[in-house]
Amino acid sequence: MDERLEKAIKFSNYMASLHNQKRSFQEKYYQDLIYFFNGSQFTVTKELISFCKIMLDSSQTEIILIDDNQIPTEIENLEEFFNNIKNIYINASNEFIVSYNRIKKERTIENLVDL
Amino acid sequence: MSKGILLYARNNSKIDYTKQAYFLAKRVKNILGLPTSIVTDSELYLKTQFPDCEKVFDKIIPIVWSENSNIDGTILSKFENHFYKLYRDGTISKQKLAFKNQLRSSAYDVTPYNETLLLDTDIVLSNTNFLHCFEQKNNFQIYHESFDLAGFRDYSEFKYINDIGIKFYWATIVFFRKTEENKIFFDLLKHIQDNWNHYKSVFQINQSYFRNDHAFSIAIHIMNGYTEGDFASSLPGKLYYTTDKDICWDIDKNKITFLLEKENYVGEYTLASWNDVTIHVMNKFSLNRCIDKELKNV
Repeated sequence: MDERLEKAIKFSNYMASLHNQKRSFQEKYYQDLIYFFNGSQFTVTKELISFCKIMLDSSQTEIILIDDNQIPTEIENLEEFFNNIKNIYINASNEFIVSYNRIKKERTIENLVDL
Repeated sequence: MSKGILLYARNNSKIDYTKQAYFLAKRVKNILGLPTSIVTDSELYLKTQFPDCEKVFDKIIPIVWSENSNIDGTILSKFENHFYKLYRDGTISKQKLAFKNQLRSSAYDVTPYNETLLLDTDIVLSNTNFLHCFEQKNNFQIYHESFDLAGFRDYSEFKYINDIGIKFYWATIVFFRKTEENKIFFDLLKHIQDNWNHYKSVFQINQSYFRNDHAFSIAIHIMNGYTEGDFASSLPGKLYYTTDKDICWDIDKNKITFLLEKENYVGEYTLASWNDVTIHVMNKFSLNRCIDKELKNV
């Protein structure tokens, strides 16, 4: 095989694996962003964090939120709920960036998937 | 309230489902800390192959065929040994084998638990997310949303069961509590299975063999009053899967390495690894090879 083509194919395999690894980190991130609370399930989003913060700033201490399954849930301690979702967001995002930065430096497929 | 996991394991001539069940039950114990019961027609084989199985499984529930099971008109006579499915081992290797999936509708009757998480044996459990389904209020939980690890394949068959828009649900993982509504649901499931040719035709399902996913989807549709409704809610997160065209290469604690089918290149694969994500591995052959390797290391 022409050396130029061989190199391109090797690179394309690397790119395909890199793409797959990025997808796996992204999905892990979405999974880590789920907050299970009192039998309800909330995906922590920037919107949810901001909304809770606005409610807290306007002196609300409890609130009703609609969870991922469209079930209304009473949040009796909004401050605690806010702190928990904030921590979940920070931890999940940190883990995501650590994984992402690790593979950014890797140049072989074996290292990408940590074989 | 008793809680536990229920597995069905019925071997065919090439695939050892009891081995998968044994491996999964061990992971359930370590990761979720819950008891697992197995329903199997290979009790003796299980006990011979895995001498510590009575410690691993909470209960071993044997399938006992009664004489009238063979009489025409019963579910067993209609389904048993009549269904064969193509099992792949990657994109090139494939073989037709018996597909013994006909007893799932009995889960409500046989489960020893008040709260049951029914799992396929080809699930590789890697996190504690399933513990949350026992906390959720809904008495029946199942996955509709799923994610194919390979990313490029047409997954429309996993969105709707037909062209008239009946939602597809995965019978792979089902959580249910013993309630009157769930009893009705599982009885309905038996009725659908018993009259499968009729329902297959009404709901325009073009598959030669009986699939629990389809029967569950139809039953949920009926329970919801022939429309979309709240009878079933989603299990925590979404269902991650690889098809039997991918190869499970290695399982190392909570890290699973796959060779994923490469788009437009038959026989070529892309390497990928997933950490801390529970995955439904449809390539049973490669899963069993990984389990063999893991069990040897213990």
